[in-house]
Amino acid sequence: MTTLVFEGFYEPFSASAEPIDRTDALPVQDVDVPAVRLHEVGKTWRARPGQPSFSALTDVDLEVRKGSIVGVIGPSGAGKSTLVRLVNGLEKATSGRIELFGEDVTELSETGWRDVRRRIGMIFQHFNLLSSRTVFDNVALPLEIAGVDRAAIRSRVEGLLELVGLSDKAERYPAELSGGQKQRVGIARALSTEPAILLCDEATSALDPETTRSILALLKRINRELGVTILVITHEIPVIKDLCDEVAVIENGRIVESGSVFDVFTAPKHPTTARFVEDVTSVDIPSYVRDRVTAEAGPESSLLLRIRFVGEHATSPVVSRLTTTLGADVNIVAGKIEAIADRPFGTLLVAVPGSPPTGDAAIAALLTLGFRFEILGYVPAERIETECKPFGFPLVPENVHVA
Amino acid sequence: MSPELVRLILDATLETLTMVLVAASVGIGAGLPLGVFLATSRRGELFAAPTLNAVLGFVVNVTRSTPFIILVVAIVPLTRLIAGTSIGTRAAVVPLTIAAAPFIARIVEAAIREVDQGLVEAARAMGATPFQIVRKVLVPEALPGIVLGLTLAVVSLLGFSAMVGAVGGGGLGDLGIRYGYQRFMPEVMALVVAVLVVLVQAAQTLGDRLARRVNKRLRNA
Ligand SMILES: Nc1ncnc2c1ncn2[C@@H]1O[C@H](COP(=O)(O)OP(=O)(O)OP(=O)(O)O)[C@@H](O)[C@H]1O
Ligand SMILES: [Mg+2]
Repeated sequence: MTTLVFEGFYEPFSASAEPIDRTDALPVQDVDVPAVRLHEVGKTWRARPGQPSFSALTDVDLEVRKGSIVGVIGPSGAGKSTLVRLVNGLEKATSGRIELFGEDVTELSETGWRDVRRRIGMIFQHFNLLSSRTVFDNVALPLEIAGVDRAAIRSRVEGLLELVGLSDKAERYPAELSGGQKQRVGIARALSTEPAILLCDEATSALDPETTRSILALLKRINRELGVTILVITHEIPVIKDLCDEVAVIENGRIVESGSVFDVFTAPKHPTTARFVEDVTSVDIPSYVRDRVTAEAGPESSLLLRIRFVGEHATSPVVSRLTTTLGADVNIVAGKIEAIADRPFGTLLVAVPGSPPTGDAAIAALLTLGFRFEILGYVPAERIETECKPFGFPLVPENVHVA
Repeated sequence: MSPELVRLILDATLETLTMVLVAASVGIGAGLPLGVFLATSRRGELFAAPTLNAVLGFVVNVTRSTPFIILVVAIVPLTRLIAGTSIGTRAAVVPLTIAAAPFIARIVEAAIREVDQGLVEAARAMGATPFQIVRKVLVPEALPGIVLGLTLAVVSLLGFSAMVGAVGGGGLGDLGIRYGYQRFMPEVMALVVAVLVVLVQAAQTLGDRLARRVNKRLRNA
């Protein structure tokens, strides 16, 4: 049996710590080889008394480029946890091939997997910290398991606690920490053996939005600064939007769509993807307008359109261009601009009055300008053209205070 | 209270303590690994050996369901083989230990089964061997439960050790029966009970303290 160790994907971040002995390492692999590659992977749970066999994963193809952050999103029971557990051998695939840095690990023995796992960190939804150990000793655990000596453990753990901002909590027990702090310990622990890959199974699902953001920022930093490849499993679309470079959507054990986060978010193809993406990108018709939307145009109705701004279009002054092209006013009903994978993506609901003639012209103009849009229906004009009153503090001298 | 009586009580207390402590120590020595094995050897577990698990589980159940007094009599040949005699404190230790070990094993098993499977999963993901998982995760995490369980075992052993008195095992139970019952000295019986109460109290208090000390699960523990 060959021992398998991935080598040299990032320098030890704690220079004082002695690197783990990797004299048995294989030569560094070709740079273009993916960190993780699943090829037509299937996982079937065997039938048990009273239960038929069940295919948790079918024909899964997934590539995680070295140094990238890939997210897998899907509804509960889709097979996400099963998928991520195949990558560190906690579960065995029943068909297909799994490669890590070009090495086929599909048939690896349990002993072989143990070596591989020391090069793969994992963090969990419920943190899975040992309640009997202090923060320091929790982070030290993987190093103890790998047989690293005391002195090296000390300096490495101290470096890691600093990285995650918990140096002052070293001697605390997990019960004395907040959820976000616990996950930081989990991250420090996962990084202690300097893994090339970090697996995150619902790592932020037990945290509030604010804490989630800080954990995602930390993960991003770890990826950018340490070059750790990250595979994220989640059912929360914001995690994908804020953290990942690429995304795969999984449903009923199959990957139904995958690609760069920006492409998938801005042009979802599969209904499931669309449903997930909606949460972030959709702009609902306000309730005071929704009740009045009709399929047919009335004599005085406005055409209601949902316009998407992708990439460079997002910053272009779409409304003014539409107004000038049409020579008619365009009412903004609702809208927002989201940063998806650090690029702008906007949605605007507008009502074009004087339909159908102006409406048709608007559609023609949008087509020429190259915007993506949907026709939502027609609204009687008076519902949109509510009287426009300024709102807020009038800027009169008594409201202006100069410090 | 006559000096002889004090002497008698002191000796008997010492005998009882010896019996209980020896039986508990040997019982832990055997029961701990047995309990760990029982907790980790079902199908799909760390040391999966379902058949051996079932066999050992059966043996443990048989021992535990045999009334102690019958166990004492039933294993006399074994006691003689190990202790060289079937009467007295030395001999009494043998059935006490044989009763204690399976009891402790079940206590350890229950405490270990209480440990969150997520921790085992995390340890496996770190590349831990099954032995490392037991030593670094399962036993330390189960320790508060184990300590409380051992306290229970020691308290039960105090009761059992009084019972071996009935078959000439020495100790407080023996004293209570011989003087209090057979010689109609109810004050001796009362004293014996009082000493046992004190011992049980002491064991329980000590066990509770220790369990709280090793339990880091609660804030301000
Ligand atoms: N050990 C097992 N034996 C049999 N079936 C299993 C086992 N583990 C998981 N499954 C089944 O496999 C399917 C996928 O489970 P998995 O845990 O991967 O889902 P998931 O996408 O992670 O869901 P969630 O978002 O709820 O965590 C589920 O239908 C589940 O019931
Ligand atoms: Mg899951």
